[in-house]
Amino acid sequence: MIQTSFQQESPLAAGASVTLRSITRRFGDKSVLEGIDLAVKPGEFVAIVGQSGSGKSTLLRIIAGLDGDFGGSLTISGAGGAKTAARIMYQEPRLLPWASIIDNVAFGLGPTPDRSNALSKARKALEAVHLADRGPEWPDVLSGGQKQRVALARALVSRPDLLVLDEPLGALDALTRISMQSLLEKVWQDEGFTALLVTHDVTEALTLADRVVLIENGQIALDIQVPFARPRRRGSVQFAALADELLSAVLKTKSQTEEYVI
Amino acid sequence: MTDIALRVTAKTTAKRKTLPLPSRLSPNRFIPCLLPLTVLILWQTSASLGKLPSSILPAPSDVLAAAWRLLRSGELATNAGISFSRAASGLIVGGSIAFSFGLSNGLSRLSERTTDTTIQMVRNIPNLALIPLVILWFGIGEGAKLFLVSFGVFFPIYINTFHGIRTVDPQLVEMARSYGFSGFALFRRVILPGALPSILVGLRYALGIMWLTLIVAETIAAQSGLGYMAMSAREFMQTDVVVLAILIYALLGKMADSAVRVIERLTLSWHPAYRKGAGA
Repeated sequence: MIQTSFQQESPLAAGASVTLRSITRRFGDKSVLEGIDLAVKPGEFVAIVGQSGSGKSTLLRIIAGLDGDFGGSLTISGAGGAKTAARIMYQEPRLLPWASIIDNVAFGLGPTPDRSNALSKARKALEAVHLADRGPEWPDVLSGGQKQRVALARALVSRPDLLVLDEPLGALDALTRISMQSLLEKVWQDEGFTALLVTHDVTEALTLADRVVLIENGQIALDIQVPFARPRRRGSVQFAALADELLSAVLKTKSQTEEYVI
Repeated sequence: MTDIALRVTAKTTAKRKTLPLPSRLSPNRFIPCLLPLTVLILWQTSASLGKLPSSILPAPSDVLAAAWRLLRSGELATNAGISFSRAASGLIVGGSIAFSFGLSNGLSRLSERTTDTTIQMVRNIPNLALIPLVILWFGIGEGAKLFLVSFGVFFPIYINTFHGIRTVDPQLVEMARSYGFSGFALFRRVILPGALPSILVGLRYALGIMWLTLIVAETIAAQSGLGYMAMSAREFMQTDVVVLAILIYALLGKMADSAVRVIERLTLSWHPAYRKGAGA
């Protein structure tokens, strides 16, 4: 039930719009998603938070096109008539160990016959993640954070309208995570794609997202706009208050459906 | 590896004064040659002194002389060439059939269900047990050798190709599919490189079985080749030629193994275990 249309949304928007209508997903007897309705505007950065097993990763896999076995309807409308395949960043970098770093980035362009063009695009993408000089090396010489930067370059090299991030920073150490967050924010601002980020980390969600969606027991329990100006300062009082509020909402077991307006 | 291991031992033993100090021969790579050299010297001296009858074991110098003699007559080159081409054609025929079965069974569940059980059943037959039947079928011509070698190399290549393809990281396959790779492009960029280390292990096993099978087949039923050369030398009590044939087998086996190592170095240079300077 994936409908992908290529009509132009607006001349300014570079991102895709994503519309979910009563998405359901069952694994055998267990219902994981029970009617998710969500509309993501072009260029919006939406973070999806929730506890383990809340169904947030399942939702992400459906949006990314990795899981086609769901009920309801999913519409991804690309901007500018360009290709609208969602690009995915996984928790693991998933780099091909037998391809050089630059070839791994060029892999993100799909099976293309034009290798020299692919390599020049890949070189630009590597520059954007500050790894321009590492192109000819094998991926296993890189650190975990650098590998994720290569994975980000691979996701971005095809200039996607929609980038889907499945806890890509979850396995990184705290310092690397913070620098990756600002890199992610920068490329998102430069490229203008729509971003959907699944994360455990409430602070990360509030640092990056325009809007935070909390999924609980397969339903959207909370949908809040993040009001802070970018770049965001984690230290500010309002930020900490909202983070605290969001965290207690995530940890709360009983369902909470009223909308927060701040 | 050896160098490092020895250096470490040398350091630890130097610290522990109770242990005997190792020999201080400066280049450590000389040490692996010590034992074979000693054996060779002992062998040559006892043969020269007449302690070792040449009907049991000829002196190394006699083996060298036999090698020179057979080289000059062209007999050695002809027989080695025949054996080599038999081994190679058996490897190519058996190996390519095995590789295609490994690929199709690794990639398709239907193909696996159709053929894998049968192959696993046949695998348990020692290929040399087929020699009587093969002689009845093919006589002692080239067909018999080709069949036996192909049969022998089939299983290690099949099993390792199959296993290699099945164990390719499914996360990488999912990633590649999400970037639009499918069919042959997916196979060439992800599945084949992922399976290659295992396929090459299979090739190395196959090479061992290839020589073993060929030598037995040539010894029992052949009119040319190294095995035949050794057997006819036995009839004339030419122990030097017999020993020479055995040494050449060892040499050929080592060469085949080195060839695969070169292939590994070239194709698996991305793999930390095969990178230049790593491994022994």
